[in-house]
Amino acid sequence: MTDITKETNFLDRMIDSHGPMQTGYDRVTELRRKAADDITGRDLPTTRHEEWKYCSLKKLSRESFIPAAEIAQPDLPDNIADYIYPEAEHHHLTFINGVYSEKWSKTDKLPQGVIVANLADVLDEGNPVALEHIGQYARWEDDPFVPLNTSVFRDGAFIHVPASVKIEDPIQLLFINTDEKEQYFMTPRCLVVGERSSEITVVEDHVGFGDNVYFNAPVSEIKLAENSHMTHVKLQRDSRKAYHISRLAADISRDSNYKSYAVQLGSQLSRSDVKAVLTDENTHATLDGLVMVNGDQLSDTHSIMDHTMPNCTSHQLHKCIIDDEGTSVFNGKIFVRQDAQKTDAFQENRNLQLSDSGTAYAKPQLEIFADDVSCSHGATIGQLDPDQVFYLKTRGLHESQTREILTYGFALDVIESIPVASIQERLSKEVEKFTKASNSIKQLV
Amino acid sequence: MLTIKNLHATVEGEEILKGINLEIKAGEIHAIMGPNGSGKSTLAKIIAGHPSYEVTRGEIIYEGEDLAEMDPDERARKGVFMAFQYPVEIPGVSNSMLMRESYNEIRKEQGLDPLDPLEFEDYITEKLNLVEMDAKFLERNVNAGFSGGEKKRNEILQMAVLNPRLSLLDETDSGLDIDALRIVSEGINKLSGKENAVMLVTHYQRILNYITPDYVHVLVNGQIQKSGGKELAIKLEEHGYEWVTAKTEVNGEAK
Ligand SMILES: Nc1ncnc2c1ncn2[C@@H]1O[C@H](COP(=O)(O)OP(=O)(O)OP(=O)(O)O)[C@@H](O)[C@H]1O
Ligand SMILES: [Mg+2]
Repeated sequence: MTDITKETNFLDRMIDSHGPMQTGYDRVTELRRKAADDITGRDLPTTRHEEWKYCSLKKLSRESFIPAAEIAQPDLPDNIADYIYPEAEHHHLTFINGVYSEKWSKTDKLPQGVIVANLADVLDEGNPVALEHIGQYARWEDDPFVPLNTSVFRDGAFIHVPASVKIEDPIQLLFINTDEKEQYFMTPRCLVVGERSSEITVVEDHVGFGDNVYFNAPVSEIKLAENSHMTHVKLQRDSRKAYHISRLAADISRDSNYKSYAVQLGSQLSRSDVKAVLTDENTHATLDGLVMVNGDQLSDTHSIMDHTMPNCTSHQLHKCIIDDEGTSVFNGKIFVRQDAQKTDAFQENRNLQLSDSGTAYAKPQLEIFADDVSCSHGATIGQLDPDQVFYLKTRGLHESQTREILTYGFALDVIESIPVASIQERLSKEVEKFTKASNSIKQLV
Repeated sequence: MLTIKNLHATVEGEEILKGINLEIKAGEIHAIMGPNGSGKSTLAKIIAGHPSYEVTRGEIIYEGEDLAEMDPDERARKGVFMAFQYPVEIPGVSNSMLMRESYNEIRKEQGLDPLDPLEFEDYITEKLNLVEMDAKFLERNVNAGFSGGEKKRNEILQMAVLNPRLSLLDETDSGLDIDALRIVSEGINKLSGKENAVMLVTHYQRILNYITPDYVHVLVNGQIQKSGGKELAIKLEEHGYEWVTAKTEVNGEAK
């Protein structure tokens, strides 16, 4: 404990704080050991690292966190039920500071054979599907955050949809992070396995209740077997002082369709790495995003769209709204491997700057090794359209109303493609809150 | 209601308006005609408060107040309305929502309670009838995908809803088919009364068959070169703008 070199190394401190390694089935124990070995003695990446150029972890590396599970009695408000979307009334899992809460979870009215459960329990029971898939997909070269999660994770969600089962209503995974004096960290883990011809919608919702510092480092893995469909909505509304560093990997088989909509609203620093691997022919992946940053928030999204086989399509519409001194970063890699002929890949990053002092970095990165492909990509940075602003003002609307309407209009195509009505409503309220929160009401025109 | 004195205005350093004088009283309808690029839209936009134009000399007095220091939204809440030559599409907000918000802002200004959605529905139904517009346009996003004529009619619907004191109608007649022109013109007539005034920018005498102007002004190269009654419009139709320009030049030389 008094080892000075360890004291200074963030990753080691994090792993050590969890005490002796969890044991369980060999596969999991092995995975954890390997992950811990991977990062022992390693430092966090710095801005000299190409993938972290605009996202400094300096501040994070100086913070100390205790494992969230050690907070004996989280300061829990009584309105938790308000955070359950009506569509997910019958099936939702709630985690409080990363710890599964049976009290606030419900898994009624699920079709026969569907499992929606706490991942820790499922792994302890030795569920073969969970054991087979855990740790298979979330792989990033040279990245400390997946191994960090893997080495210490316990609770999280496991969803298994058997072949040909379709679940219409969304399943919500609610991660509540409470307002505490202690700085805590958690490593939620989600694993979703959709068997052949299954259909599912999952909403991953991270909510911070206070204005406190904590560190949320979730990892999600998705495996879709042939001809299956999944819509995955992620809402990151962590505390405005939180750090949120997440990894999401989807492995998509033949004839399958994976659609991800990631919305980043909270945290002082959020970094989201998403990866979709289209492993076979005729698959589709959507990785859309909506980011809103103001104050001194920074939100960084790195995506990898990996086309490995012919006749696949992908769609990425990533929109960022930047106010005050906010910063958004988007790095979108598209790989089209040699075999991936007839790939049709679309990528667009649009940034709306509401202030003069905000910053947007955009870097599309296409690596194409096949010759018969159609790839389009574009990045734009712009302000509100002065003609639209003037039009609305001639209708008597105040500056703030004008900003709100036009900002909402900018975000609309991402919001509208999320197929859960109450999330759409939630987001229109978030846009309203965001446009009203601006530090200074600026003269737009 | 509106007094414009020796108005000079520039955009990006270039002078567009070069000394406009105009007096519009309550109850009057003024038609502004003139060749392309002469500054008609510029004049309307400056009265409405467009920030791209800089007033370099002169003043605009509306209801006894200098407009120079007033934001466009404030002008609108005080009863200035502009129907655009090219109405803008606004994604993300429905037509009825925009009109309700606008109307409620204006009511607030007048010290009246806002209308709730149901009350507003009754109110707007009456206005829809006035311009013979289908209610389906209410739920569509503002001007999004509207045809040229539909956009123009939608501008007059907004005018009907907001009930402005001073309406600046910029080529509302262009793009309207014959029936639409009649309907829209009749609507404008019904909306104008002793308390309000209209400044109507147009290229065609056609609309003036329906709406009888008290004055016709010819704007050429940033100045009002000629003013007269409605017979001036007929003369312009016959002889074209060259007639006005030629005549003024002759006058100029004669002096
Ligand atoms: N934002 C601008 N930037 C540069 N020039 C401008 C701008 N706005 C107007 N102008 C110029 O000012 C002049 C007057 O334009 P305006 O739109 O007022 O003409 P108009 O009389 O309405 O013409 P039309 O009959 O074609 O509608 C034109 O030469 C136009 O190009
Ligand atoms: Mg014009």
